[in-house]
Amino acid sequence: MARVNIKIKVNGKLQELGVEAHETLLDTLRERLGLLAAKYGCGDGECGACTVLVEGNATLSCLTLAAHVDGKDIETIEGLEQGSHLHPLQESFVEQGAIQCGYCTPGMIMSAKALLDKDADPSEEKVRRAISNNLCRCTGYEKPVKAILEAARRMRGEK
Amino acid sequence: MKPFFKPKAYFRPGSLGKAVELLSNFGDRAKVLAGGTDLLVQKPSGAECLIDIADLGLEYIKEHENGVEIGAATTVRSIGVSGSLSSEPYLVLRDAACALGTPTIRNMATIGGNICNASPAADLPLALMVLGASLTIMGPAGKREVNIGEFFENIGGKNIQADELLLSINIPASRGRCGTSFQKLRHHQTSIDIAIVNVAARMTCEKQACVKASIALGAVAPTPIYARKAEALLGKKRPNAAIIQEAASAASEEVNPIDDVRGSKWYRKKMAAVLVRRALEESSRRCGIWPE
Ligand SMILES: Cc1cc2nc3c(=O)[nH]c(=O)nc-3n(C[C@H](O)[C@H](O)[C@H](O)COP(=O)(O)OP(=O)(O)OC[C@H]3O[C@@H](n4cnc5c(N)ncnc54)[C@H](O)[C@@H]3O)c2cc1C
Ligand code: FES
Ligand code: FES
Repeated sequence: MARVNIKIKVNGKLQELGVEAHETLLDTLRERLGLLAAKYGCGDGECGACTVLVEGNATLSCLTLAAHVDGKDIETIEGLEQGSHLHPLQESFVEQGAIQCGYCTPGMIMSAKALLDKDADPSEEKVRRAISNNLCRCTGYEKPVKAILEAARRMRGEK
Repeated sequence: MKPFFKPKAYFRPGSLGKAVELLSNFGDRAKVLAGGTDLLVQKPSGAECLIDIADLGLEYIKEHENGVEIGAATTVRSIGVSGSLSSEPYLVLRDAACALGTPTIRNMATIGGNICNASPAADLPLALMVLGASLTIMGPAGKREVNIGEFFENIGGKNIQADELLLSINIPASRGRCGTSFQKLRHHQTSIDIAIVNVAARMTCEKQACVKASIALGAVAPTPIYARKAEALLGKKRPNAAIIQEAASAASEEVNPIDDVRGSKWYRKKMAAVLVRRALEESSRRCGIWPE
């Protein structure tokens, strides 16, 4: 089976890989690069557990072929921590108790990051829409929404 | 997991000529890949090779004096936020784009994929139908133009061959004052689900009368359809509540929905009337002739 050679940047690091024609970005991240945060939930675009950022946009890695993102910049939650400091989104998810089993969390935080990178002061409505492709089966949505709004406040430098 | 989707080859042609050559070499065994939000869900087992159209320069929205041209690989998000589509008659397309899927899906999904997948419940084709759009399709014998209405007339739902590529969507500028509307019913209005019923409408007005109406419905027949009888009821009159209700009831008689997990035939017929009424009310409001 012919391999496709691709170069992608993952969390700032250049990766040169030979991938299968049918290989999804989710499989590449998990199986080749050992980045296990993005999860396989449904494989059908419905749950968002596999959400990562491609060129800053929230993207479902289960419906994206690795070959399709050749040359692109990919961000996963593994890239958010700076040194020993968690990203404000990670911090506020922990503080607000917005995580129970945590299966949905990496995807939900990446959807939120895509929003906050473009809009520093989003309305609650916008936050809800931004995570509308992220299904949570245990925490629900109230605490994640609160956590995202709180993280936005911190990132704007407000108390 | 669907284990049978194992294309052996992936191509990313850099020119239209190369893309069409690949498509004619592989025929049925090739699949065009745009955003992948339908293809990678369906995972067709017969797809031996994928032809990615990302490098063909098909991502654009161009305004010109005769209307707007949109490249097939333009994302639904770009359509939803485009300044070129923020006035009539294009609001129906912008609104349909903003109602498709979720923000994450809209980052990936393309307008060409939405048309070529030819789901009877797809959102953008309805808007393009009331806008009278035409499609530019390229195959081994060159380019051809097809009206979007005719594109969906074929049994099986679409008028494009395995060796053809949709290049662009051309929307004519409107002659006269227009109001449009897009209405969609789904289980939760913000959730991830396709329409139970969706409707696009457009009215062209002169003075205080509607001189032409166009109504398209989705998820109520094997393909998206026009409600021709309802359209005829609106011609040459000033719309009022009674006329709009009459047209809405007529539209509901023209549809032929099925029972499925999203809704029953009975419910879909009722909701078709409600959505057509709302679409006509909003169209006449946007035209500036409602309420009287
Ligand atoms: C969770 C989820 C929610 C969704 N919600 C909606 C919704 O609310 N409304 C809606 O209408 N749809 C919805 N969809 C369906 C899908 O997102 C849209 O139909 C989308 O526009 C498809 O575009 P794409 O670029 O991803 O297509 P792809 O999957 O890349 O392609 C779809 C089909 O079209 C063919 N194709 C694509 N481009 C071309 C071209 N230029 N020339 C020839 N053939 C081509 C492909 O070969 C394939 O058969 C949803 C999908 C998911 C997964
Ligand atoms: S695994 Fe990708 S959306 Fe569920
Ligand atoms: S925390 Fe368990 S699915 Fe969201």
